[in-house]
Amino acid sequence: MGRWIRYSPGRIQLTNRSGGNVQLDAHFMFVRETKTKILNFFCFVQLRRRWLGELGFPYWNPIRRRFSPDSPFFASGNVERELLAKQVALDLTEDEINHLQKFVETESRRISCPIVGCPERLKSLDHFEDHYNARHTASCSVCSRVYPTSRLLSIHISEAHDSFFQAKVARGYDMYECLVEGCGLKFKSYKARHQHLIDKHKFPSTFEFFKKTQLSKKRREKLQRQHVSRLKHEEDKEAASSDAMEVEDKASVDGLVSALSTLTTSDTTPSNVSFGRRHGRGLTFVPRSVHKEKRTESSSAPGPTN
Amino acid sequence: MADDGSASNRRDPIKSSVGHVAGQRRRQQAVTVAKERRELLVRAKRLCRVGTNGDVEDALVENEMMIDEEQPILEAQAIKSVEELKSAVQYQGKGAMQKRVTALRELRRILSKSEFPPVEAALSAGAIPLLVQCLSFGSPDEQLLESAWCLTNIAAGKPEETKALLPALPLLIAHLGEKSSAPVAEQCAWAIGNVAGEGEDLRNVLLSQGALPPLARMIFPDKGSTVRTAAWALSNLIKGPESKAAAQLVKVDGILDAILRHLKKTDEETATEIAWIIVYLSALSDIATSMLLKGGILQLLIERLATSSSLQLLIPVLRSLGNFVAVDPKAVLTILIREQNTEESIIGVLAKCLRSEHRVLKKEAAWVLSNIATGSIEHKRMIHSTEVMPLLLRLLSTSPFDIRKEVAYVLGNLCVESAEGDRKPGIIQEHLVSIVRGGCLPGFIELVRSPDIEAARLGLQFIELVLRGMPNGEGPKLVEGEDGIDAMERFQFHENEELRVMANSLVDKYFGEDYGIDE
Repeated sequence: MGRWIRYSPGRIQLTNRSGGNVQLDAHFMFVRETKTKILNFFCFVQLRRRWLGELGFPYWNPIRRRFSPDSPFFASGNVERELLAKQVALDLTEDEINHLQKFVETESRRISCPIVGCPERLKSLDHFEDHYNARHTASCSVCSRVYPTSRLLSIHISEAHDSFFQAKVARGYDMYECLVEGCGLKFKSYKARHQHLIDKHKFPSTFEFFKKTQLSKKRREKLQRQHVSRLKHEEDKEAASSDAMEVEDKASVDGLVSALSTLTTSDTTPSNVSFGRRHGRGLTFVPRSVHKEKRTESSSAPGPTN
Repeated sequence: MADDGSASNRRDPIKSSVGHVAGQRRRQQAVTVAKERRELLVRAKRLCRVGTNGDVEDALVENEMMIDEEQPILEAQAIKSVEELKSAVQYQGKGAMQKRVTALRELRRILSKSEFPPVEAALSAGAIPLLVQCLSFGSPDEQLLESAWCLTNIAAGKPEETKALLPALPLLIAHLGEKSSAPVAEQCAWAIGNVAGEGEDLRNVLLSQGALPPLARMIFPDKGSTVRTAAWALSNLIKGPESKAAAQLVKVDGILDAILRHLKKTDEETATEIAWIIVYLSALSDIATSMLLKGGILQLLIERLATSSSLQLLIPVLRSLGNFVAVDPKAVLTILIREQNTEESIIGVLAKCLRSEHRVLKKEAAWVLSNIATGSIEHKRMIHSTEVMPLLLRLLSTSPFDIRKEVAYVLGNLCVESAEGDRKPGIIQEHLVSIVRGGCLPGFIELVRSPDIEAARLGLQFIELVLRGMPNGEGPKLVEGEDGIDAMERFQFHENEELRVMANSLVDKYFGEDYGIDE
């Protein structure tokens, strides 16, 4: 276990793969050398002079809340009332009145779905909401992520939840489809596809199709236990030495969601920005297959020096 | 230490994080859905009326289509009818009155056949001056009635059409007087109601022309459709957001008694209109609020909530109750204590609303509870010891977002003492523990993840309570167990600085380097 070396506060500069850089003020900076000489780097970045201490936190304080009649808070309750702001005095025969009432009660209750081409008629706002979520948003039933089209949803499901997909990837097939419809190209890795999107289709380098959520240690362990043996291999590795766990190489860093996380100190030096957790969790924003893939790569490459 | 000159440097990459984009997308999606829903509802109401042919088979037929077929016919009829009215008004000979009434009736019929009367055509043919003339003092009742009816329907349409009634207003107001026959007065009230419903400018005109006192007096009788129409018109007139109309209403002698009387006894349709008057009074007039409270309005509101199942009535009644609680928790809570054991206690009716299938009732009932929960410890205990708690916990996990936010307010308020001054508010550990054990933590952490800043803030504040207040230092483990750390770490690069700071300070304080060191 390497020791933490504290550096004095200062400006740090981080560079991303495309050459952009950002400067941050690190008020604490700890750098750690591990057995394999890869630096871990933990810094606490303060964006204001004010300390984020006890005095700063806005504690829960019960205060009564009052709203004026035209406040948006009351909008949903006002909808029906607004319709009655003006009323026409209709002159109808007895029959017409009955007919109208029946009509109002049955048919008008049903609202046509406003989406073009959708023939659905719904009974109430809540029904509409359910219908909308079921039919017009493509959401993943496994992890609840939402996509704007069913094509993207099915790509997501294959890449994130399908072990056959992973098996084919492992055997070297080109499985990662380009996200742009009509392009048709496929790639062997998430990263390669990502690069293609940037190079060919001008996607921003910070775009991430799959943003992995950070799981607690318990959840991660649980999920891992549910998978096949090659992942168990990963788990064993994890359990064995927390140092090795902290070996994060640059490719893994690329997979991170936040802009900051995609930055590395240089092209060859890895960095792990985390927030004070001892067991380096900073890099779970990577699809499992990428993580695994890069792990095999890194075992052959010598550790970078800095 | 860097100074602010470099602030922009620091901010940009944070802002461009993908998390921000995703958050924005979610927000946009939420806004789109809400807007579509609103439009749907308005369209549905418009679709419900039937044309002259009585063709009702297909509700999918847009109104525009139905209008296209009939509209030219109606328009032509309207123009012709106005011409006839013109000549009838000019005619001075024998049977002039009958001619006028006949012409008026014809115009009225044309203007009452469908939900979209041919108003524009009638206006361009010059209907208004003629109708104003027919409203002159001393005219027979039938004439007044038909004329007011025409004006009512003209005013029910587009804003410019409603504004066209300006010349007629003084006369319409005059015919609200007690010497007018009931149907005439009612029809004039209806027309005035439509004008008031148009917007604040027209409301101000009506007020300055003295519409309010006679209209208010029309709700003194015990019953009748006149009372209902007048109450509706009155509610349109005082709805604000300026408070001067409400203030003027309070000054009408006997009005508050009449309101209380109707709230207690009258039929549900009339009570609905009265309830909306109370909504506006309680929101806009402190004098009205205190006088109504003294008059025992809370008990009447609670009774209505307990006995009625009409959503149209329940919404304004519940909201009135909420307004009273929001203004003066102490008054309400005095009643709470008194009525604790009766079925119709305030907690009981609020529970009924929480159990309802209607979103608005659930949301606003939770809001009322959240305000009650800002009271003293006894009051918090009172909520905490009732049937409401399992309802709230369930709603926190299952209901739509806006309800969950209100429920969050209730639960959090129950766990914290109402603080005096600047000191950190103390935690009521007993409540916190039971609420957390009741399974509220996932719901709060879910709020932390929402794109709504206020909700995320609430979630973080509650997490702070858990971290600080749970006994035996269980807080951090519980939060971690529900992926709370993950939720908080998403704020690392969030665009909102306050949330960033809050989340970061919690993670640092409770999940710092030493966390998990014993594992």
